[in-house]
Amino acid sequence: MHTLSVYVREMRAQILATWRTPQFLIPSVALPLLFYGVMGLGLSKGREEVAHFMLANYVIFAAIAPAMFGFGAAVAAEREARLIELKQIAPLPAGGYLAGRLAAALALIAVAVALLGALAWFGGVRMDGWRWAATLGLGLAATFPFAMIGLNIGLRMGSQGATALANLVFLAFSLFGGLWIPLSAMPAWFGKIAEYTPSYHLGQLSQMLSGVQPMADVQRHVSILLAMTLAALVGALIAWRRRAA
Amino acid sequence: MSPTSSEPVALLRQVVKRRGATLALNGLDLTIRPGQCVALLGPNGAGKSTSVALLTGRLRPDGGDAFLFGEDPRALAARGRMGVMLQDAGLPRTLTVREQVELFRGYYTAPRPLDEAIRLAGLEGLERRRCGALSGGQQRRVQFALALAGRPDFLVLDEPTTGMDIDARRGLWTAVRAEIARGCAVLLTTHHLDEAEALADRIVVIDHGRVIADGTPEQIKSRVSGVAIRCRTRLSDAELSGLARVTGVSRDGGKVTLLTTSAPATLRELLARDETVDDLTVAGASLEDAVTRLVEAGAAASQPQAKVA
Repeated sequence: MHTLSVYVREMRAQILATWRTPQFLIPSVALPLLFYGVMGLGLSKGREEVAHFMLANYVIFAAIAPAMFGFGAAVAAEREARLIELKQIAPLPAGGYLAGRLAAALALIAVAVALLGALAWFGGVRMDGWRWAATLGLGLAATFPFAMIGLNIGLRMGSQGATALANLVFLAFSLFGGLWIPLSAMPAWFGKIAEYTPSYHLGQLSQMLSGVQPMADVQRHVSILLAMTLAALVGALIAWRRRAA
Repeated sequence: MSPTSSEPVALLRQVVKRRGATLALNGLDLTIRPGQCVALLGPNGAGKSTSVALLTGRLRPDGGDAFLFGEDPRALAARGRMGVMLQDAGLPRTLTVREQVELFRGYYTAPRPLDEAIRLAGLEGLERRRCGALSGGQQRRVQFALALAGRPDFLVLDEPTTGMDIDARRGLWTAVRAEIARGCAVLLTTHHLDEAEALADRIVVIDHGRVIADGTPEQIKSRVSGVAIRCRTRLSDAELSGLARVTGVSRDGGKVTLLTTSAPATLRELLARDETVDDLTVAGASLEDAVTRLVEAGAAASQPQAKVA
């Protein structure tokens, strides 16, 4: 009971702290909306299938930056400011701090994804209720792999290096994952790199769930994603222990 | 003393800890009992912060044992009875003082009332201020409030008053004394010897990762023979140590401190050799003189640890 309340308080504090950082909050929510508004709705000019297809990609895109920066790079900054050390000494269970940060990232991504959904609806995108829930839900679930990858960066690098690398990985995931521009419009070697990014597999699943692509290879995409997330989680645990040792 | 007071709050036994190429702790022993305030003194690099890191579970000993309330210092239950003020820990800029103290209270099973923690740390009127908008001294007071928030049985204060003004410093001392009075044990590291003298009932001097002296402030001072003569003089250190009965020479800015077993004998020679002697005072050796002298003697002889009392 006490442990549960500690987790809840930690999450609340982290969400509050994120909420009060508009310089992080606004770009995290506004960037995917702006991109989708221009590329998904603006350029499609009433062709709803394009807007529909792009929505599937942008819900994944919306998760990358908050998960990698808000969760990953922010851990590096808080470590550098020596905020974490006192929490490791205080009787806060080891997972409490990370759960708090993850909750803050999830809350932010939930807002971004929900607003994207609303924008798409106003832009004329229509699908079944369960497809809406599945597509937006997958965007939210995409937080986990990106957050774990970001955490590895945050625990292994200094704050400036972590921000720079997170930026690079963020751009690579968006581009090579085919989230900005469909892979079909890109040279073939793009597709080969895409296989190694979680964003590509998430994008594929998202397109299937939103009904713009038939269900195929689901098991392969899901197992690759699980393997990537698990590998990142193990890597993060090792880094966390080394920090604590 | 009650029977429970024999159970140590914190214990380091024959601890060895390597940090990089240097041996930070080399067979260190330290026992802290309930209601005791121990000041850990020594030059930079003596092993003070490593000792603190071992007792707070941030480091693990390479050899020997570290215990907190009889348990591994990493155990959640042991950590729940400890409050810590680190030397340079940060605060979240966007949370208010009240929110941050409230958050830390929540980590403990039987915390102090929020208002009490705020009052003891002298933070009244700043509760709604964001931590990022506080001055350095005010941030230190928030750190103190966080250390007190859980009503700890063991308080670790690592250079607690750095950056604080005189009032805040006195306020902290008063609060620490009240904690000791209710049975809380305190481990204090500080560069201010007056702070150690004001709070500690036991002084442990360490150097090169070993204890070189351990006793009450009076016992430590009595280890330094007699009297301290302070003055300005143009004599060199070598000439000064050659004066009658001088046991130690140290310089602080333009002033020299001579430790002597007989002030009259030393003064007669000093005044005869240097007619320009100025700003002359004679006083009993201070704790600072004693610690300086002990560290110097330890470095010169690197003798095995000597225990007082």
